Amino acid sequence: MGVTCVYSYPVPDGKSGQAVVEILQRQIELLGALRSGHFCVDCDTFQSILQTSINVQPKTVYILHNSEQPASCFAITDTSLCLTADTLFDGLMHQLKNYYQQRKNAKMEAKGQRYELGDFILKVGSASLAGSFKGIIVEVEYCPCMVAVDCWGLMKELLQSVVGSVADQPPPILKNRQDELYSPSITVSQYLDIFNNFRKLSATNQIGR
Amino acid sequence: MAGSSVKVSVEALQEHQIQEVTLDGQEIYVQQLSMSENLTKLAHKIDFFKDESDGKGKPASEGEKEVAEDKQLAPFMPSLWPWDTVRNHLKCGLTEMSVLLDVLNLVKEKQYLVADPASQDTPDTRPAVQLLAKKKSLVAASSVLLSGAERLKKSHCEASKKTNDFHTELSTLRKIWRLKKVSTNIVGDLSYRSAGSRFWQGGSFEVRKSVEGEQAETEGEGGAARATSLEVTVPSELEGVAYIQVEVKTVPDMMDLTSSALKMPPGLSAVPTNAYWQSKLESAQNVLFCKELFAQLAREAVQVKSATPHMVIGNQIITNVFPGHQLSIVLCHYTGKEKRVPPSNTKLEHNHVLEHSLHQLLHEVHHRNVRIDAPHPVNATYGMTKRRRIAGPAALTRQDMIHMADSESLLSQIIKQTKHAVLRIRCMHVIDQMAVSIQDPQITAHWGCLNSALQSSVRIFITSAGYESLNTLSRTSIVLLIGVDTIRVVMKDGRTCQLSFEDKELQDLLLWQIAQHHTSVVQQIDN
Repeated sequence: MGVTCVYSYPVPDGKSGQAVVEILQRQIELLGALRSGHFCVDCDTFQSILQTSINVQPKTVYILHNSEQPASCFAITDTSLCLTADTLFDGLMHQLKNYYQQRKNAKMEAKGQRYELGDFILKVGSASLAGSFKGIIVEVEYCPCMVAVDCWGLMKELLQSVVGSVADQPPPILKNRQDELYSPSITVSQYLDIFNNFRKLSATNQIGR
Repeated sequence: MAGSSVKVSVEALQEHQIQEVTLDGQEIYVQQLSMSENLTKLAHKIDFFKDESDGKGKPASEGEKEVAEDKQLAPFMPSLWPWDTVRNHLKCGLTEMSVLLDVLNLVKEKQYLVADPASQDTPDTRPAVQLLAKKKSLVAASSVLLSGAERLKKSHCEASKKTNDFHTELSTLRKIWRLKKVSTNIVGDLSYRSAGSRFWQGGSFEVRKSVEGEQAETEGEGGAARATSLEVTVPSELEGVAYIQVEVKTVPDMMDLTSSALKMPPGLSAVPTNAYWQSKLESAQNVLFCKELFAQLAREAVQVKSATPHMVIGNQIITNVFPGHQLSIVLCHYTGKEKRVPPSNTKLEHNHVLEHSLHQLLHEVHHRNVRIDAPHPVNATYGMTKRRRIAGPAALTRQDMIHMADSESLLSQIIKQTKHAVLRIRCMHVIDQMAVSIQDPQITAHWGCLNSALQSSVRIFITSAGYESLNTLSRTSIVLLIGVDTIRVVMKDGRTCQLSFEDKELQDLLLWQIAQHHTSVVQQIDN
């Protein structure tokens, strides 16, 4: 478990998402990375049913799973409080269906290939909301280090050779937490942030249409 | 405010008791007693009849009289002469005294009244009756003593009763071994199944009463064999004595695995058939344990693919740990029925430490089969280790979990331990040889006292005698961390390097360090 940076790579107009993914994958393989399987990060949304008044926003809980941590389940509230639990936590959420209901057709997934390059682990995948393609996600993890501020320079170099100018700044969630000890919950928060951006984008697109 | 004012009268406190309040509100007071009347009242209270000693020092028994007065509420009669009762009491007293005087005078005069001593019954002087009385009393005393003695004898008998009747022996047997009654026989289990063993061979023994004649014979001997009334029969394949012999030897040729012959233990005494049941059962259990251990090792030697090949011949497993070093594990089982083999001339070097390690490893395997970490939930996955349970909240990666689930085979573990032992001995030899051969810079080795079966450490100091007062260059220290296959060296300046198992490498490194130390000391002296 090391410092991880997650970015969403913008799809240039005129190209399909799949093609861009393949270009990125070829680039990574050219760097010398070895393919080591697949990865999958998925997100479910649960909303509270009890509402005292109409004005109050319903409380949301996001449940995420990361294939990198197969025995764990992450729960993030809308106040960005993160819980790392065993996979039995899913069962607990389903037991609470009288208070928290799962939002239908709101399952977001990021799936793709996993590569290993020395001390780095690179992942390139496509994000989809309920089956429809939304964007491309690139993740880079530097295993030996656990404090972001120490290894940002090294990661920036590698990222820029993969994704270019997208990685000029560390991801917004990581920017505030550069000094503290890194934990997988920060990775998962970064994913959630990107998923929410995709959701907002698709919502505005729908309204615009 | 002028006008009618309230009359305020000052009255003295009442000291007299009220006898009567008339209808018009006037109070009539009790006539107060004069001094003489008060005195008579007190005198009336004196009780002349009451004995002084009764009161136990209380003056004039006034306290009791008070109580009596409360109960009776005797009214004070003022009409009588106050000293009347006193006079009456004195009169009675005088009468009594006079009577006593008269009686005494009469007795003294001996004219009207004589005091004679009263006659008593004469004792029976006849000897026969005396004898009979004495006899009866003696009989009573003796019967009491006899009953007491009987009780003592009974308890002493029970305490010192011989403990070799069948049922007491059976109860002692039950305290140590697992017994079960199957129809008319008593069957026991001496295997390690209940401790977690999964060996196919079971160890069940039979318990029965020993033959009477045999018992009498052994009692007559009274020597080596203990007289028992209980016999156990162990299965034939578990008879005798067994142990695992572990040997590390140097073989001049590289892969000479076929040079060793089938070994026989040197003159091991078998268990005699009339031995005490505990020793019989214990040796049978040991045989079973050794068999299981050897079967596990043999199975792993054949199945597990490893870099160096292992050979399994009969009751022996041979493998190369280092080129030139061989590890042989032999199961020696002596049942007493083999024909006598002349003891071999070569001294067999039995490595007790490794044999003990093997036993410990198998016990650990058994223990892991039985031990289940807490919690033991009723409705969830049962049998997960603590680390696996924490894997979720601790967000372990797949790699971490794979490492967690890895378990090594018994054979690989013992080979690792052997390698480390051999490497450590070799390092010791190299360092000692060097220390003896090189006199000028002195070499001292301090071996760490905390080490494990797979790692040891030693710190080597190179000093020049007489020049220790020179600053930091006077002493060079190297730390060697001896692992399973390799030696990690930490030099004085913090550089580390890794050496292989070849002792030539270690020798070269030490010589280099000695030379460096020597030159630096000479330079220091020169400056």
